[in-house]
Amino acid sequence: MNLELRNSGNERRLWLATAWIAGLFCLAVCATLVCQHATATTNDPWKSPQLLALKSALAASPKDAGIKAQIRGLDLKFRQRYFRRIAMNRTGGWLLLGGAALFLMATRRAAALRMTPPAPPFDPVAASEILRQAARARWAVAGFAVFFAAESTAIILNIPRKAPAQSALAPVPAAKAPAAVNDLPPLAEFQANWPRFRGPDGSGFSPNAAAPLAWDEAAQTNLLWKSAIPLPGFNSPLVWGERVFISGGDAEKREVYCYNAGDGKLLWQRAIENVPGSPAKAPEVLEQTGMAAPTMATDGRRVYALFANGDLAALTFDGAVAWLKNLGSPKNQYGHATSLAVWQGKLIVQLDQGDDAASNSRLTAFDGATGNVVWEKPRKVPGSWASPIVVEAAGKAQIITAALPSVIAYDANDGAELWRADVLEGDVAPSPILAGGLVCIANPSNKLIALRPDGSGDVTATHIAWTCDENIPDVTSPTGNGELVFYVTSSGMLTCLDVKDGKKQWEHDFGTEIQASPGIAGNRVYVVATDGHAWIVEAARAFKELGTGALEDKFFASPAFVGKRLYLRGNGSLYCIGEK
Amino acid sequence: MLFISHAKTQRREGVSPFFAPLRLCVSIFLGFVLLNATAFAEQRFPPPDFESGYHLPPTATPAPRAEYMQYVDGMVLLGALALALWFVYRSRSRRGITALSIFSLAYFGFYRKGCVCAIGSVQNVALALCDSHYVLPLTVLVFFLAPLLVALFAGRAFCAAVCPQGALQDLVLIRPIKVPAWLEAALGIIPHLFLGAGVIFAATGNGFLICRFDPMVPFFRFSGSLLMITLGGAFLVVGMFVGRPYCRFLCPYGALLRLVTVAAKWRVRVTPDTCTQCALCQHSCPFGAMREPTPQKSEPLPSARRRLAGLLLLLPVLMGLCAWGGSKLALASHFAELGGWVFGAWAGLVIGGKLTALSVRHNRTDFEPDSSACFACARCFETCPSERMRRGLIPLEPVHKEE
Repeated sequence: MNLELRNSGNERRLWLATAWIAGLFCLAVCATLVCQHATATTNDPWKSPQLLALKSALAASPKDAGIKAQIRGLDLKFRQRYFRRIAMNRTGGWLLLGGAALFLMATRRAAALRMTPPAPPFDPVAASEILRQAARARWAVAGFAVFFAAESTAIILNIPRKAPAQSALAPVPAAKAPAAVNDLPPLAEFQANWPRFRGPDGSGFSPNAAAPLAWDEAAQTNLLWKSAIPLPGFNSPLVWGERVFISGGDAEKREVYCYNAGDGKLLWQRAIENVPGSPAKAPEVLEQTGMAAPTMATDGRRVYALFANGDLAALTFDGAVAWLKNLGSPKNQYGHATSLAVWQGKLIVQLDQGDDAASNSRLTAFDGATGNVVWEKPRKVPGSWASPIVVEAAGKAQIITAALPSVIAYDANDGAELWRADVLEGDVAPSPILAGGLVCIANPSNKLIALRPDGSGDVTATHIAWTCDENIPDVTSPTGNGELVFYVTSSGMLTCLDVKDGKKQWEHDFGTEIQASPGIAGNRVYVVATDGHAWIVEAARAFKELGTGALEDKFFASPAFVGKRLYLRGNGSLYCIGEK
Repeated sequence: MLFISHAKTQRREGVSPFFAPLRLCVSIFLGFVLLNATAFAEQRFPPPDFESGYHLPPTATPAPRAEYMQYVDGMVLLGALALALWFVYRSRSRRGITALSIFSLAYFGFYRKGCVCAIGSVQNVALALCDSHYVLPLTVLVFFLAPLLVALFAGRAFCAAVCPQGALQDLVLIRPIKVPAWLEAALGIIPHLFLGAGVIFAATGNGFLICRFDPMVPFFRFSGSLLMITLGGAFLVVGMFVGRPYCRFLCPYGALLRLVTVAAKWRVRVTPDTCTQCALCQHSCPFGAMREPTPQKSEPLPSARRRLAGLLLLLPVLMGLCAWGGSKLALASHFAELGGWVFGAWAGLVIGGKLTALSVRHNRTDFEPDSSACFACARCFETCPSERMRRGLIPLEPVHKEE
C-alpha cells in the first residue's frame, strides 16, 4: 500500500509540475501578446511622424521622386510589420490553446489523484430542507421577475419615441410646428436644388446648371466667396434656395452649418448634442473617414444630418431642432460614411454595419416631420459605404442600395424588396446611379455593371445589361447624363462609356489623385482632384478639355451644381464658384 | 485497499489551494488575450496610395464549401448523437462521453467554427416559418430537429457530448462549486427569455440575436468582437468553478431541450440497481441536477394545493401583463409591436410556469437526476458504488479494511 501511495504521490507531483510549467508558458505567451498589442495600438503607422513629415515634404514638392521612394519604402515596412504581427498573433493563439489544454489536463489529473475521497453524509432531517429550498426558489423567481419588469420599465421610460422637449436642449431655439407631408415643396423645386449627395437623384447630373469653365483662387478668378468650416468632415454640400448646408464633427462634438449662398456668411451653426441614447465615447473611425462623412439631405422643409456615432438630427431651416435620435453606434471599421436620402417627406437611412451578414444592418424610412419610423427592413449585409438613391424606374419609386454582395432595390413606399443582383465584392464604396434607364454600379476595382431595374427577385442571371472592366474606380461613383457614363479612378483616369452597351468611348489620365466623384452640369463634366486642381471636360463621345480650375485646399467631397454656381467643400473651407 | 480504490476511481474535482492564483491568472489572460490577440486580424489596412498605371488585382473570393459537405455535417451529427446515446445508455461510459466531447469540440467547434449549430438553428426555423422567401437549408433542419427528437425519447444526449459549446465548458471544469438552488431557479429563467427574444428577432427579420451573442464562437473562430471575447472569457473562467454556466443560464436551445425532456420516454438513471442513498452521485454532479429523496413528512396537502391553484390562476394574468409590457417595450425600441406582445406573453408564461413548477409536489424514494437539468455527462455513473459493482469495476464481495 505504501508503494501505491508513494507512486500516486509521485504521479500527482509530476502533474502539478506539468501544470505549473504549462501555466507559466501560457503567462509568458500572454505577456508577449499583450506587449505586442500595446505597442501596436500606440504606434499607428498612419500617424508616424516620419511618414507625416515625408508626406508634408511631398506636398511641398510633389514631383520629388526621392521622397516618393522613401514613402513607398516606409509604407512597405509598415505593411510587413502589420502582417508579421497578425502572423504572430495567430501563432500565439495556437500556442496558448495548446498550453491551456495541457494546463487543464494536468490540473485535472492532479485533482483526480488527490487523496480525499468524498463521504457525504445523508441526513434524513435535511430532506425537509427541500420545501424551504422550493420556497426560496419561488421568491427568487419572483424577485427576478420584478427585476425584469423594472428593467423593461426603465427602457420604456428612457427611450422616448419623439424628440425630447425643447427645454431639455437649452441653447436650441424653439422649433416651428412640424410641416405636414403635403406641405412639402413641389418636385420641380426639389429638382432645381441640390438636396442630397450628388443631386436630386444621386447621379451627380444637373441638366440645367451652367457652372463656370475656369476659376483660380490665386488670381481670384470666378471665386465668389470662400468661408471657413469650423469642424472637419468629408460630406458634400447641400444647396436649397439661398442656403448651403454642411456638417462637421470630431470625437468631441458634431455640428451642422448653414451658409448664405449669396455671400458665404455663416448664418447659423447648431451643435448636435443631448441626443438620447448617444454613446458617451465616439467610435474609433479612420482619419480618412472622420465623424461627418455622410452627406446631409433636405426635403425643403428640414435638413437631416447623420454622424459616425449614430446621431441623427432633423433641423429646421432656421437651425432649430425638430427631432434627434441615436441609431446606435454603427460598427464600421472605417467609420460610417453612407449618405442620407429623402423621398416624399421620408428620410431614408441605410445603416450597414459589422463584418458579416448578421450585423443588424438595416434600411429605415423615418417620417421627416416627426422622426417616427415609417418602415424598417433588415439587410443581411456587412458594413458598406455606398449611398442609396431613390429613383423612379419600371413604374415604381425604388430605393437602390449597394453593399457586399448585392445591389438591392426596395419599394420606397413600404420597403418591400423588389429585386437584387449579387454582383459586388470587397469594400463597397461607390454609389449606384440611374443613367439611361439602367442602374450603373461599380464593383470596386473590378467592373462597372449596368442592371435593368425592372426585374423581381434575384436578377443576377437575367438583368445585367452589360459590364465593363476598364479603369474601374474603388472609391468614387460614376455620373451619367442619360447617354454617356463617366467615372474616374483614384489615380485620375477618367473614362467615358456609352450607357446603351457599355462600350468605351475614350479615357484620359489626369495623373493625379482624385477622391471626389465627378459631376455633370449641362454638357460639362467636372472633375476635382484632391490637390485642388479641376478639369472641365465636354460630356461628349470624344475627349475635349473645356477649362480648368485651381483652389488652394484639399478636396474629397463631391461638387454641387445649382444654377450658374458650383459649390465645393475643401478640407478647411467652403467655396462658391461662379461668374463674377 | 478501499481507500486507494476510492482515491483512484473517485473523479472528485478539486486541487490544492496554491493552484488558485495560477489558475486565475491563466484564465484571465486566456479569456482576454487568447482570442483578443487573433481578433486584431480583423483590422483592415488601407490600400496604398498608388499612382497611375497600377491596377489593383481583382478581389479573390475563396471557393464555396462543397455542397455535399453539408450532408457530411448532418451525418456526423447523427452519428455523434447515436454514439452519445450508446455511451449514456449502453456502455454507461464517462470516458466515452469525454472522448466524444473532444471530437465534437474539434469537429463542430474548431473545424466547423461553431456553424452550423443546433443553438442557432432555432432562429433559421423561426425565420423560415415567418418569411416565405427564406429557404431553410436541410442541414439546419437536421441540426434543429435531431437533438430535439433524441431529447424527446432519451434526454439531453446532445448536451452530453455533441454540442461543442457544452464540450468546451465541460473540459475546463476543474473545481465545481454548488450553485444555491434558489439562484439556479432564478437564473434558469434567462435561457427561456433569450430563446423568446432570439425567436422574435429572427421571425421579424431583425437579425440572429442568438448567434450574435454566442460567447463560445469567438474561441472557435479565433476572432470576434471585444465584447464577445470578454464575455466568452468570463464564461470560461466562471466555468472552471461553476459547471457549464452558458448551458445552464443562457443557452436558448438548452431551454428548448429542457422543455422537451420533461416528456422524455427514457431517462438517465444513476444505476438500475438499488440506490444505497450514499449521496455520492449528488456530490459528483457539478450541474446541480441530482435530486434527493423527498421527505416522508411534507407540507400539508391543502396549503400546497391552494398555492398551486393560486399560481395557476396567476399564470394568464401574468401573461397578459407581460404581453402588454412587451408591446410597450417594442414601441419604445421601434420594434414590431406584435413581436413585443408575443415576447411579453412568453416571458409571462415562463415566469408563471417556473413558479408553478416549483410548487408541484414530487415523490422520490431515491436519488434521481432531474431529467430536464441533467446533461447526461455520466459522472454519477462513475461514482455510484452500486453501479460500479454492477459493472464489475469493484468486487462484489465485502471489502475489509487492511490490518
